[in-house]
Amino acid sequence: MSACDPHDPHCITCGDVAVEMLVVEVNDSLAVCEAEGEAREVEVALLEDVRAGDRLLVHADVGLVKLA
Amino acid sequence: MKFVDEFRDGALGQKVAAQILGVVEPGRHYKVMEVCGGHTHSIYRYGVDDLLPENVELVHGPGCPVCVIPMGRVDDGIAIAREPGVIFTCFGDMLRVPGSNGTLLDAKAQGADVRMVYSPLDALRIAKAEPDREVVFFAIGFETTAPSTALTLMRARAERVTNFSCMCNHVTIVPPLRALLESPDLRLDGFIGPGHVSTVVGARPFEFIPADYGRPVVVAGFEPLDILQAIHMILVQLAERRCEVENQYTRVVPYDGNLRALAAMAEVFALRPHFEWRGLGFISQSALRLSDAYADLDAERRFAVPGVRVADPKACQCGEVLKGVIKPWECKVFGTACTPEHAIGTCMVSPEGACAAYYNYGRFARDRVVA
Repeated sequence: MSACDPHDPHCITCGDVAVEMLVVEVNDSLAVCEAEGEAREVEVALLEDVRAGDRLLVHADVGLVKLA
Repeated sequence: MKFVDEFRDGALGQKVAAQILGVVEPGRHYKVMEVCGGHTHSIYRYGVDDLLPENVELVHGPGCPVCVIPMGRVDDGIAIAREPGVIFTCFGDMLRVPGSNGTLLDAKAQGADVRMVYSPLDALRIAKAEPDREVVFFAIGFETTAPSTALTLMRARAERVTNFSCMCNHVTIVPPLRALLESPDLRLDGFIGPGHVSTVVGARPFEFIPADYGRPVVVAGFEPLDILQAIHMILVQLAERRCEVENQYTRVVPYDGNLRALAAMAEVFALRPHFEWRGLGFISQSALRLSDAYADLDAERRFAVPGVRVADPKACQCGEVLKGVIKPWECKVFGTACTPEHAIGTCMVSPEGACAAYYNYGRFARDRVVA
C-alpha cells in the first residue's frame, strides 16, 4: 500500500478505494494496522469490538468494515 | 490475498462473460453506468470491457471526487495556501487539479507550504507537531471519505487543537445521480452502484432509482469479477423485467450502511443548499459544509476566500465525459493538449478519472474501439 502519491498510478484515497488491513494492536479508538508491510494508525471508532488479528477494510485511515 | 485473488480469476471471468452473452437480447443496445471512479479505473486496468458483447456499453459516471471539483474551489484553496503561516494539506491527486491560475503544486513551487497527506488524521498530526502554524485540510470525497474528516474534526475538538481547520468539499452521491437521470441527453439501462460509498450509506439510498426512474442498480466491488458479475445481475434484471437494488458486494456492504459513520457525519456536517459540480453545474443539496457546531474549525470562515465561480476551459469537454455523453477519446483535446502530465480537465488528473484511466490503460486499443 502506497501513500497517496500524484505519480502513483492509483490513488486509493481519491479513488474511494478501501484497503484490507490486519489489526496488530488496539489503543482505545485507534489501532495499529498493517498491510503489505506498512503500518498505519487507523481510527476504529466506527466498528464494534475490534481486536488484534481482525481484518478491516480501511479508507483514509478509518476502518469502515470488519471483514468476516 | 483473501477476497482479491478469487475475484481476479481469468477463467471465472470468461465464464461470467459467457453468461452475459447468454442473457443479452440481440439487436438491443445496453448502456450501463458505473457510478464510481474506482470502477472506471478497474474496468480499464483489467480490460473488463473487452469481455463484454459489442451491444453492452459501459458509461463512466461522475464518481471521481477529484474530477467534479470546479476550478473556483481550487482557486479558493490556493488563496488559503498562500496565507502567511498556513500549512495547506490535501490528498495527492488534488495537488495537480488546475485552477484558473495554476495548481496547488504550482503554488507550492512559488513558496506556499502545501503538503500531501494520506488522511485527515495525518493533517491533524502536523497541526499538533507545529502549533505555531495554521494547518488547513482540503477535504474532498464522497461518503467513503467524509467519515474520516468527521472523526478527525471530532478528535481535533476533543484534543483542543485550535490551529487546525478544514475546507470542506465533500459531496454526496445521490443528488448527482438524480441529476443525471433527469438529464434529457442521457439514456441509461442500469447502474453499477458504488461499493465503498455503500459501506457507509448502505444500498438503501439507491432505492429511488428503480422506484422513481425504473432502472436497476447493483452495488458492486472493485475486482474485475465483481464488476462482471454486477453487469450480469443488471442484465438478468432487465431480461426478467425486474427492477430493484441488488447487492453484489455482500462480503463488505451492509444494506443499511455504517450507522456510526452516518451519525458522525450528521454531527459534523450540514448540507449546503447548492454546490457546483464540474460539468454538471449547480446541484441542490449535493455537498457538505461544516455544521454550526463545528463552525470554528471551518477554514472558509477562518480565512478570506475569493469564492469566485470560474468557467471551465472552452476546449475541455469534461462535463460531457462526466455525464457519459461522449467517450474520453471523443474529446477534442484528449491525448493531445490534455494528458496526465499536462491536464486541462480534471478527468485527466485523477487516475480514477475516465480520461486518465482510458489514457493509461485503454488508448492502445483506441483504433479497435473506434472502429
